[in-house]
Amino acid sequence: MKPKVGFYELTGCAGDMLNMLNCEDQLLSLFDVVEVKSFAMASSAHDEDTELDIAFVEGSVSTEENLHLLKRVREKSKILVAVGHCAIFGGVQISENNWEERLKKVYGDVNFIHTRPIPHEPLGMFVRVDAVIPGCPINKHQFLSAAGKLLLGTMPELYSFAVCAECKWKENECLLMKGKICLGPITRGGCGAICPTHNIPCIGCFGPVEEENVSSEYKLLLEKGYSPEELRNRMKIFGGKVREVK
Amino acid sequence: MRVIKLDKTKLVEYLRSLEEWGEVWGPVRKGEKFVFAKKDPSEFDLTARRTILPPKKFFVPPRFTMFSYRDGRWEEEFDESRRIIFGLHPCDIFGILILDRLFMEHYPDPYYIKRRKNTAILGFSCLPDEKCFCIATNTHSVEEGFDLFFSDVEGEFYLVWVGSSLGDDLTRIREDLFDEDVTEEDIERYIEWRRKRDKMFKTDLDLTGMPEIVEISYKRPIWEKIGEACLSCGSCSMVCPTCNCYNVVDENVFYEERIKRDRHWDSCMFKEYSLVAGGHNFREKRSDRLKLFYTHKLTGFMSQFGKPACVGCGRCVDACPVGINVPNVAKALKGEKVDAIWARGEE
Ligand code: SF4
Ligand code: SF4
Ligand code: SF4
Ligand code: SF4
Repeated sequence: MKPKVGFYELTGCAGDMLNMLNCEDQLLSLFDVVEVKSFAMASSAHDEDTELDIAFVEGSVSTEENLHLLKRVREKSKILVAVGHCAIFGGVQISENNWEERLKKVYGDVNFIHTRPIPHEPLGMFVRVDAVIPGCPINKHQFLSAAGKLLLGTMPELYSFAVCAECKWKENECLLMKGKICLGPITRGGCGAICPTHNIPCIGCFGPVEEENVSSEYKLLLEKGYSPEELRNRMKIFGGKVREVK
Repeated sequence: MRVIKLDKTKLVEYLRSLEEWGEVWGPVRKGEKFVFAKKDPSEFDLTARRTILPPKKFFVPPRFTMFSYRDGRWEEEFDESRRIIFGLHPCDIFGILILDRLFMEHYPDPYYIKRRKNTAILGFSCLPDEKCFCIATNTHSVEEGFDLFFSDVEGEFYLVWVGSSLGDDLTRIREDLFDEDVTEEDIERYIEWRRKRDKMFKTDLDLTGMPEIVEISYKRPIWEKIGEACLSCGSCSMVCPTCNCYNVVDENVFYEERIKRDRHWDSCMFKEYSLVAGGHNFREKRSDRLKLFYTHKLTGFMSQFGKPACVGCGRCVDACPVGINVPNVAKALKGEKVDAIWARGEE
């Protein structure tokens, strides 16, 4: 029997969904071996009652409706995969604390009718997350690798080390050594170090690496002459709530 | 060992002629650094110092597929290309000799051996910069491990040491370019060149008796301080010519109806490296991981093979953002002054 799979979107930019859809050729093979029960962007299939083997969920929880959908999906799925930075860490939207203020600034004093907004949170704040595919957006090869493993009934094995490893594999000149604010050492790898490969410092879009040593990188960059404010701002963008920048 | 001479103006022509045997790789500039690349020999930079990645990338690429499983059968994927690597310095040749012992002696690794056997090593002499300390690791002069070794002594000729029968075959491709007549003057020039080279080292590192110092230092608080600075980025392992750890991963390439097994570089600086089934981690702390790395570089290999695994190439000096490298760590253990972010505000 083909595994039953669903793709869900909460609050995010849909960039991860797009990247999955971008796997065109491979996606057709995927659809051959699984039964897609729901795919917000690519199909009209919306069978919300069947139990799922694997649910891929993108976006942060930002409304009551999001939360309701997430809980439903969790209940009916054996494996729930958080896809992308918003789902895993909450996205760039949780990097500041003044949520209510920002909400007012953007929407004014309105009554929300359809659903009530709530402060952004990653999926893990509400439900058990079995696996993650990091990135903002995710890397297509990592999605295929994770999907391949899940199809066999095993867990994805994505790189858990920092961006620097792949950066070295590509034999890049180190931008941090050249005095740039490169967040490679505190960022989870898997992107193929594309930014430093194009001579652009990593801003950390794959989220904090498991054992990030923020204070050491912060101290190092302070010594290189950057201001605490600049460093704090840069490190907070993709730091979610796990990264503490003093 | 046969020693012959090559007119310096004929080097490019000679290296081009070797394309008949295999791909010709050599050091070229990349920004302020160097990398080994497959280019026309006229683009090789003879003043090159250490490349970002050491030559281990030729024998164990950062990531490669070992074999695939398809239709009930598995098939190994070997890299059969023949390569000539020109411009290897003594430290890198020593590095390869260490990898040879690891991958060819007790546990022969077919992937390594295949690539190694298909690769010709053409050494080239060098002059040290401020990061080189091969004189402290005694890896500044090679006697083996190369097929040909070119010494750039003053004058119009390179002195060329022929180190293997393959090297001999390679000189025969353009026998006409070489001169057998090594004169007394050439020898004197070579000896003079060595003297000059040895005087150019800026390092004040003395590694005498280092294993004992490392052994009695395991519990010293200095490791905690270095550990606090370490970013666990793994750069040191990636660039070190003698770091050789790897991870093995299986991928279900469902869209090609095959399963493949890949090998990729790993580092003892990563937390997951020491994680075992059941969730126990043997080296939870960064300081414990650093101790492992430095034991291998400064003593570990010694007890197994009679030599420490550091060849003094200076790549860790170039790569570690926070100044954790062999000279700094060795000096700190010996109580000498160190200029690194983790050693400041100490005196
Ligand atoms: S450029 Fe950035 S990602 Fe690359 S090695 Fe340096 S710090 Fe790491
Ligand atoms: S290098 Fe950094 S910013 Fe660029 S894609 Fe990778 S994780 Fe994101
Ligand atoms: S430890 Fe450092 S200097 Fe020694 S061989 Fe490795 S990279 Fe080179
Ligand atoms: S010692 Fe330096 S290069 Fe090595 S993992 Fe630590 S910070 Fe990275």
